[in-house]
Amino acid sequence: MPNTAARRARRSAVRLTILGFLGLLVTPAGQAAEGPIRIGLSITETGPYSPPAVFELQGYKLAVARINAAGGLLGRPVELVAYDDQGNPSTAVQLYQKLLTDDRVDLLVSPYQTDLTSAVAPIVNRAKKVMPSLAANTEAFSGRFPYLLQAMTQTTRYMIPVIDLAAAKGYQTIALLVQDTQFPQQLAAGVRAEAARRGLRIVFDETFAPTMTDFSALVLKAGASHPDMIVGATYLADSEGIMRAAKSQKIGAKMFAFSIGPVEPEFQKGLGDTADGVFGTTLYFPTLKTAGNAEFVQAFTAMFGRAPDYHAAVAYASLNVLAAAVSTVGSLDQTKIRDTLLATTAPTVAGEFHLDKTGIQIGYTSYALQWQHGKQELVWPADQQTAAPSLPHPAW
Amino acid sequence: MLTVITLALLGLLWGGVYLLMATGLNLIYGVMKVVNLAHGDFIVLGGLLAFSLFAEAGLNPLAAFPIAALVLFGIGAGVQFGLLERITAAGSEGELRSLLATFGLSYVVANASFLVWGSQFQSVPFLEGAVQAGPIAIPAGLLAASLAAFAATLLIHLWLTTTITGKSLHATAQSALGAASCGIDVRRVRLLAFALGSAMAGGAGALVITLIPFQTSTGGELTVHAFTLIALGGLGNYAGAWLAAELLGLTEVFAQFYLGSNAAAAVIYIVFIAVLVVRPQGLLGQAGRV
Repeated sequence: MPNTAARRARRSAVRLTILGFLGLLVTPAGQAAEGPIRIGLSITETGPYSPPAVFELQGYKLAVARINAAGGLLGRPVELVAYDDQGNPSTAVQLYQKLLTDDRVDLLVSPYQTDLTSAVAPIVNRAKKVMPSLAANTEAFSGRFPYLLQAMTQTTRYMIPVIDLAAAKGYQTIALLVQDTQFPQQLAAGVRAEAARRGLRIVFDETFAPTMTDFSALVLKAGASHPDMIVGATYLADSEGIMRAAKSQKIGAKMFAFSIGPVEPEFQKGLGDTADGVFGTTLYFPTLKTAGNAEFVQAFTAMFGRAPDYHAAVAYASLNVLAAAVSTVGSLDQTKIRDTLLATTAPTVAGEFHLDKTGIQIGYTSYALQWQHGKQELVWPADQQTAAPSLPHPAW
Repeated sequence: MLTVITLALLGLLWGGVYLLMATGLNLIYGVMKVVNLAHGDFIVLGGLLAFSLFAEAGLNPLAAFPIAALVLFGIGAGVQFGLLERITAAGSEGELRSLLATFGLSYVVANASFLVWGSQFQSVPFLEGAVQAGPIAIPAGLLAASLAAFAATLLIHLWLTTTITGKSLHATAQSALGAASCGIDVRRVRLLAFALGSAMAGGAGALVITLIPFQTSTGGELTVHAFTLIALGGLGNYAGAWLAAELLGLTEVFAQFYLGSNAAAAVIYIVFIAVLVVRPQGLLGQAGRV
């Protein structure tokens, strides 16, 4: 008899435990409806790749602060759940897994950089969560991951304003120097296509290893084709190397332009006067006459004590368009949010957010800047310029 | 023909820059039989010091050169006294442990630099123009760095062969036991060698950052490059290192021009392997010493 009583007691204990588990499974969802809307991401907060990523995180933070100040989203406050991925793709994958399964965030925004975005793309897509992605390369948006939407200017468009300006000046020939990695390669493809469309000829086209530090022979060779323009699909260190080699060997051109390099303040710090006259590209500039840009620059500077760069701007814009789509849909239904984003054209601080049917960004463009007297000026397109472009580049 | 002369000149000058970055490593190896794997990080540290001295105090790299060298001399002495001298194991086991210690040190130096300077590429604008020699424009900064390299190598060579301290360094390099039995304070000699080798790395960094932008993670590549060079020349051999530096500089520039920049990176290592297949001890190394 005592045995049966004990057994009964144990059975009810088991039942209670099961009930308890079921309760655990049920309550968070029930509570969540009352609590804040949580937006998850991982970002490179520390490590060698952190400086641009921190700008992105600050852009996200500002967007959340402003949404909350304006009364939140769907009547609920918004909260950012951010983890540090240290720039490591496999860490990012684990963190997005955690965001999806442990934290069960309501919305996702993207990590910094194409590599990390590509790494998390499969699990984000499998979870059917919409993710506006800050990745310029287009592979992830060509239909394989329908829940990823590009929230940054696509790589092939970076140099379009530079080519446009050159065409307007009547320049005809380009020497193209390309770092042999994915992003510059795709960028160079964009330069070739746009040059062909505008009737400019590529008279020299060569790739170089990402570890290259001595550009003297390459630039000598490029100069031998006497191009109107020397164009580099580069990062910062390469662009400096090419300019150093050009100046110190007196290799001239009417125009020097680089993808990544001149956009960084370090370009001018490292080159001094040699930076003057050099063109670069940027996806954003604080003086842009885009929707809400003046307020954005002011709020960002007030909150973080520095002016926003393009990473901050695209991150801020991406969270805002996501929030706007949620408001339009009126719920957190991810498929509806995605369809809304695919169908809308939204003005943002980074330009007009507009996607094609697979989620490639076709609204955002790019701008040409030029170093003039130790300062970056936005010079093209003409309707956004802070100064007229100074051309041709003077002889060394 | 003009192109060939220009290329040859550029190759020789870049060879000088590579020599500048490798001589300190060579000195340390020659005396201690230790490859300092933090060598590249010392170069970067010297460069970033020069960068800060320029950015904050307006000091040009020539003025920063002795300061960076002195700071690295101190760091090198500290590392030798506090770390490497404490490794007591003898022979190849001692060499292996020292190697591992410098491997760890390279992380410490790189990450400490990262905390101070962050991860961005930095560089210093200095002598960016050209020296015109007839129809050829010679890069002024490159010329200055090369001349400094040749001068430093020559001075080290003279110092090692003509002064008492230098000779005791040389003696320790040949046989620590023999040197000690002649009354040479081997510990002091090692301290001096490591500190001096580190100082040369720091000084090299202060000049090279005017030619090549550095970021805190650049160190590893520079170590590999410097090691390739001294291995090619014959470890611990100064004339060999000079020859190897010129060979690498010329190969790089000519391969870049005639075979393309992408191929050049491979060609350098093909030359390296080819030389070592024929002469495993390096160009001027003595057989059996390595």
